[in-house]
Order: sequence, then C-alpha cells, then structure tokens
Amino acid sequence: MVEFTIDGRKYKADKGEVILAVARRHGIFIPTLCFHDALEGWGACRMCMVEITKPSWDGWSKLVTACLFPVEQDLIISTTSERVTAVRKIVLDLLLARCPDSEVIRDFAAEYGVEETSFRPLDKKDNCILCGLCVRLCEMQGTSAIATINRGVEKMVDTPFNDPNPDCIGCLVCARNCPTGTIDFEETSRTRKIWGGSFDLNHCTVCGKAHITVSQAYFYAMKSGLPVEYYEECDECRRKETAKKFSDLLVES
Amino acid sequence: MKTLFDKKTRKSMTITPEHCIGCRTCELACAFSHQAGAEFKPAKPRIYIRKTGEECFIPLVCLQCDEAACVSACLFGSMYKIEEAGTVEHDKDRCVGCLACLSACPFGNIVLDDDNFHVLKCDLCNGDPMCARFCPTEALTTG
Repeated sequence: MVEFTIDGRKYKADKGEVILAVARRHGIFIPTLCFHDALEGWGACRMCMVEITKPSWDGWSKLVTACLFPVEQDLIISTTSERVTAVRKIVLDLLLARCPDSEVIRDFAAEYGVEETSFRPLDKKDNCILCGLCVRLCEMQGTSAIATINRGVEKMVDTPFNDPNPDCIGCLVCARNCPTGTIDFEETSRTRKIWGGSFDLNHCTVCGKAHITVSQAYFYAMKSGLPVEYYEECDECRRKETAKKFSDLLVES
Repeated sequence: MKTLFDKKTRKSMTITPEHCIGCRTCELACAFSHQAGAEFKPAKPRIYIRKTGEECFIPLVCLQCDEAACVSACLFGSMYKIEEAGTVEHDKDRCVGCLACLSACPFGNIVLDDDNFHVLKCDLCNGDPMCARFCPTEALTTG
C-alpha cells in the first residue's frame, strides 16, 4: 500500500495501480478519450494529463498521463492545476485543427474555452483522432482485422492495404466504442457493411430478428467452445422457449 | 451501493412459478431500482413474466448458472462468475457492446438496451432483490 494526495486529499492504493484507476474509484473526474476499462492505458489522446510532484522534488513538477503513471508513496497529484488546464487546451486545440467537424471534440474544447483552433486546420478533415481504441479492442477480441496503417500525416486506421479483411467479423465493436463515432457502417435487414466487407446477419431461426452476424456467431462459438447452435435464436424466442419448458414441468408435476 | 456490496456472501433467490399471478410488479420494481445514472425504462427490466397457456405465469430472470454460457462467450472479461457469492456479475464499464453474451444465453435472460447497446442482467440487487421484496404472492423469495 502507498499513500499519496490527489487534489489535496489523501488516498491509499496498491502499488502499481495507475492514477486514473484510483481517481475513478474515488469519483474524481479526469477526462479521457482513448481509455476503455477492458484495456490497459495507452496514453494516446493525452486528455488525462495530470501534474505530479513530491515534497522531495523542491517545487519541481511534471506532467504525466493518468492512465499510464502508477501511484507512488508521497506523490502529490493535481488534476485541475493551471499547467494541466493549459496542456489540455493545447491538446484540444490540436485535435480541433484535425477534426473540426467532430461534435465530441468541439464540445470538449468548448468546455476548456477553445472555440476555434489557433493552428492551420488540416486540408484533409478527418474525425478520427488516431487514438487506436478500435484497433486495441479488435486485437483484444482476437480478430485483429484493423490496424493503424502508413506513417506521419498519412497515418490512418484501416484494414491491411485498404482491402476487405477476411478476419473482420462485422461485430461493430470498433464503431460502437469510437470516442468520436467516426467509423462508418451500414446495416440493412439482411447485411451489415463495415471496413469494405459485407456480412450476412445471423437471423433467429424462429422470428428472424438479428443481433449479430453469421461470422460473429462462428467466431464466438470457436472462441468460447460453445456449440454454434447456441447462437441460432434471439433472446426473445429463447425466453418464450424457457417459459414453455418451465410450464410443461409445472403441468407434469 | 457498490461499496456496500460484499462479494463473499452467498446470494440467491428462489422462483416458485406456481405462486405467480402475473401482476408484473417485479418488472416495475426492477426497472425502478435500476434507474440510477440512467433514465427510468419500465420496458427494460431484468426480470420478465411470460404467460404460457391458460393462466400459467413464469418469471424469467438470470439463473446465475455455474457454468454460464455468457461468461465463456464474453471475450473482454465483462461477464464473470463470483464463486463465493454464486452470482454471475456484469461489469458495464468493461462491456464493449458486442452482444456475444446476449446471443449465447440459452435461456434468453440477458436483455438488450437498444439505445446504447448495453446488456442488462439480473445482479440480485446486492443481495436484496427488489422484485422479491415487492412480490405480493411470494413467487419470488430471497434465500
């Protein structure tokens, strides 16, 4: 156990725990864009910057990302200091230059008093902030269908060589968790289109409703070791069936 | 509420469908007690009453399976089993909305909130299920 201070209050936590986890647990708000609880910190969006110092540092302080920096004994953390606000402003200013059309970024920037970017906006506007959350979630699921491709200003998230990737299962985890909601997909009653690929929906064998794609059903069955028949029916038809089974048992007894 | 939650105490609820009169008070009690941090959604309770045949009502709620299909289906560690408490827990922060658990549950006891693609599942209200507390005919009882 180590003892440290966040915004003037003393807290205790296990050694090795990151600042963000401790702060979240105690209800201290630190803004994030690229963080997800299912994953480890990544430090891509730089929104969770906090200022740290120690009594032994003689007034010297530094800025670190809360999602990556582990807490230490006697650490003094400030989540709202002038330096922190200033650095978040710069980050938002830069993000605004990249994605001026993103509502999430605009709202976030407005909160910190940044209405217009002071940098020259990018010629090719893009709502992707390149945080890599989609890539990391896809990797954790075990599909690894997308990655950041190219370098420098050309960097973007896509499938290898911009071709439809056979590894993609059309699960929409990337699109549903994108902080700026920039990943496009199309869904009709029969198919779902994402990353250039087209996926048949897994229709319920009874009522025809679909939650997931056929590729998803096969992938989850393979990963979990459950038979693929488990994914055939929708939740409502299952409920009906369960109720029927229970009532048959009742009538028998 | 979450800090008071003791993960070691065994929690359980008994369903006696013979006593159920289909008043759906449990559905309402469930939706009402789970509205914290979200809006009140009476159409999205975690317990459902289904009518089968002539006046036969079955309360359907997560059965907290020992070998749960949802737990093995979840690839992000959002669904997990607590052996001591005997419950299957869902961590909504870790959930990515892939709907693997929803499709895998053989009883259909996981409910989808279509607004934000969150799955809803019975958490036994930290050991004091509201549905059981409000059930007028003791079709649902604690312990």
